[in-house]
Order: sequence, then structure tokens, then C-alpha cells
Amino acid sequence: MEGFIIALFVCLVLALISKYLSIPAIPLYILGGILLGKAGLGIVHLDDVSHFFSEIGLLFLLFFMGLELKLERIVANPTKVLTAGLIGLTVDMGIGFTGAYLLGFSLMEAFIVGAAFYITSTAIVVTSLIENRKLMFKETETIIWVTVFEDIILIIILALLSASDQILLLFFVKIALALAFMYAISFYGKEFLISVLDREDELPILFTFAAVLVTASFSLYLGIPETLMVIALGAALATTDPDAFEQHARPFKDVFLVMFFVFFGVTIDFSGGINWSIIAIICALAVLSKLISGMIIGLVIHNSAMSGLEIWANMISRGEFSIALAVLYGSPLIATTVAVLVIVTAIVGSFTAKYSTRLRSGIIHYGRKKALMHRPN
Amino acid sequence: MSAMSLRSLNLPGVGTKYEFQTDKGDTVAIFFTKTGTIQMYTLQKGCHTPSAAEMTPVEARRLGNILTGAIIEADQESVEIAFSALADLRVTIHSFLIPKTVSGKTIEDLQIRAKTGATVIAVCRNDMNIVNPAPSFVFEAGDTALVIGESDQIKMFERQITVD
Repeated sequence: MEGFIIALFVCLVLALISKYLSIPAIPLYILGGILLGKAGLGIVHLDDVSHFFSEIGLLFLLFFMGLELKLERIVANPTKVLTAGLIGLTVDMGIGFTGAYLLGFSLMEAFIVGAAFYITSTAIVVTSLIENRKLMFKETETIIWVTVFEDIILIIILALLSASDQILLLFFVKIALALAFMYAISFYGKEFLISVLDREDELPILFTFAAVLVTASFSLYLGIPETLMVIALGAALATTDPDAFEQHARPFKDVFLVMFFVFFGVTIDFSGGINWSIIAIICALAVLSKLISGMIIGLVIHNSAMSGLEIWANMISRGEFSIALAVLYGSPLIATTVAVLVIVTAIVGSFTAKYSTRLRSGIIHYGRKKALMHRPN
Repeated sequence: MSAMSLRSLNLPGVGTKYEFQTDKGDTVAIFFTKTGTIQMYTLQKGCHTPSAAEMTPVEARRLGNILTGAIIEADQESVEIAFSALADLRVTIHSFLIPKTVSGKTIEDLQIRAKTGATVIAVCRNDMNIVNPAPSFVFEAGDTALVIGESDQIKMFERQITVD
């Protein structure tokens, strides 16, 4: 328990540092965890209490993702979302998976590394777009749509990974029943839910917390993945009053997700045969592959390499979803790889996002100078 | 005059965007972000990089007041006050020059409250202020009346009392 309090205090300090220096907090939390845990000082260990809290953090992250998941928006804008999304999926997942496989991961491990390698951190991307005042850039809409597309791919990946050791038909029947139940409650109980959420007392926040935890434990009981069910719960409840649910779920997400990141760092172990050069290659590939996919998206959607550069600069950071995949399905080796991947890409990404306009004008300037020098007299 | 086309868009995870192009080709975009701040971007025609300002909701409302011209009308000024704690109650206080047509009539004669819903809370005459005038108060040309009410009631006052 002392370890937990120490971790909490360290988080608070790290959160302050991140806000004052305006750098993303996720890599800091992981670094803090690594420093306190197995690989560092060894004063904080993962026990039942901290494990439970981290799990709640993950559930609320996924619940939030479900709340934000509005399929009708994608249907309203299909070609752009699909084109940009599919380019990202093919290039990044392709490079991540092939790279990891060639570097010696097994087929299954390479798939998980590839998925973690592919998925951008929506949290870091959105925060940096707002902080760097880039919301009006034409590339911003594309970036947001790509992250929405990635969320859907993440759901498919989670479904594939959890379906692999099940009797498929029974599994899908159970999932379909659970989905039908949640949507029926959201549909027929809409007015009741909204009246609960409108109350000024403790009821709305208690209801939100209970809905997520009850869904998760029922899913475990039924033998269906609680991760998927919590996303589905978010998507179902988003048909009632998504803003109210976001408001009531936010405190839980904010606190427990930080615990999730720190205790992910705590469990990282550098002792057993870590091949640093492999991890370094994966990190370098992670930055490079987003450059390739960003360039293609920029050229296809905006007809401009400069737009591609802007998309790359803002989409390098991996974060919460990569960690979630590593925690749920990864071996200790994958966890270490993903931890370093997130730290490196988030730090590199925060710099490129901050200085991309300067980079772009630098390139344009250089291009003009070169053109002038080569101009025949 | 061509109609201004306002485009609104919901960006998942970011917030709501409003964008419009002016007649001269400049673009203005406003984002209400999920973090609660409001960002305003302006992009001059022919430029590639927009400039941005980030505002709190209070600052944004003040900017809105300036843009609607509410604050800076010299002898007829108006202030809108929003009380967010009272279900976002918005009250406008507006000053009006009393025209000759109303001269010699009382507040009661004009049936100001019944006709418009607004209330005269003060009258300024020859640099003297009469606060909370009685219903029997007689207007003279050149008086300035300070009227309080919701913006619709103020508009009604303007139409019914000051313009005849």
C-alpha cells in the first residue's frame, strides 16, 4: 500500500512537470513507473490493489473510446476516412508486423507488436493539435479521421485476439446477445437514463462507475472479452447523452488511467536478455513508417507532400492503446518493447508536432534558394 | 449581398468547429474544444498559415459582445450580462434617447411594461439621474432612459417606444 501512495505522489509531480513544460504526460508516467519498479529502485510492486486500479483505468479508457465512437460520422464521410485509414493500416501495420517478425518475434508476437506499432495515441495527438493551435489546418481533419479509423481497427484486433481461443459460434452468439441487451437498454430506457444523468446528487456518477464495472464483471462471467463489452457499452450509452457520460466518467478515467500507465512502467523488467538494438530498430522504424504513411496520405488526400509532412509530424506518438495491447496480450519482452516505443515516439512526436511549421517553412525556403541558384542567367 | 456560408463540423475527441468565409475571401474558424477553451483562427486570403487566439468562455463572450457592437455605441449603449448560475439567465441593459413623440407622456401612459416587458430603471435628464422613476414620471425630449430586460424585450422597447 505504501508503494501505491508513493506512485500516486510521483504521478502528481510528473503531471505538474508535464503541464508546465507542455510535454505529453504518458511517457513521463511510464518512465516514473520504470524508475520506481522492477527495473529501477524496486520500491513499488504490483499488488492486488494497484492491479485492480490499473484495470479500472484500462476499462475507463475503453469506455471513453466507445462513447466517442460515432459510426454514423464515418458513414457520412466514407471515402476520405477509408482511404486515409487504409493507407495508414497497410503501411504502418505492414512495416510494424514485418519488422518485428524479421527481428525474431514469433508470428503471434509480431502481430501484437505490429498492432501496438500501428495505433497512434489519440490522447497525445488531440492534445498536441489543440496546444499547438493547429485545429484549422486542413490536415487536422484528416488526422482526426485516421485516429477514428484506428479505433475501429483496434476493436477488430481486440475481437480477433480474444476470439482465437474460443468456440467461435458460441462466442459470437454470446457477444451478439450482450450487444442486443445493451442497445435495448439504451433504446428503451433512454428517458430514464437521461433523467438519472440530469440529477444533481451522487446518482449519475455512481451509475456511470457501476455500469462500467458491472459490464466488465458480467463479461468475465459469460466468458466474453470485457474490453470489447466496455467499448460496446460506451457506444450504446452514447446514443443517450454522451456528454453527460463523459463528464461523469472523466474523473475515474483521469485518475485510474494514470495508475494504469505507472504500474505498466512498474512491471517492466530490463534484466532478462533484452536486445536493445532490436528495440532501437523498432523505434526508428516507428518514426519512419509514419513518415511513409503520412506522405502517401498527404499526396492522396491533399495532393501535397507538405501536407504529408504535417500529418507525419503530428501522428508519430504511440501511447495508451499500444500499452493496452501490450498489457492485455503481450509477453514481458513485448511489454518492454512497447514501453520504450511509447516513450521514444511520444517524445520525438511532441517535438515534431511543436516545430512542424518551422520545418515546413524551412524546407520551402531551402527549395526556393536551390531553385534560385539553378536558375539559368 | 451573398449569404455567408457557415460550416459546422463535429470533430470526434476535439470538439465543434464553426467556419465561414467572408465576402472578401478571408476565413474565420472557431473551435469549441472539449477542454473548455475556445480557439479562434483567422486566415487571410492567399495566406497559408492561420493565426490563432485561445480564449476562456468569459473572454469569448466579451469578444462576442464587441463584435455584435453592443458595447461601443456612443450615446446608446448596451451591456448584456449572463448569470451562468441562474440557468444561464441573460439580462440586457440598454440606454435610449427619448424622442419628441414620447415627450410629455408618463411611463404609465406608454404602458411600457405591459407592451414591451422591459422596465425603465433610471432616467438621465440634464446630467441628473432619476433612479427607479415612478409610473407617473413624465418624459421630456432629450431624456436618456436606461431600460433593463431580455434582449427581445429591449428590441420591443426600441420598436414600440423610441421609434414611432
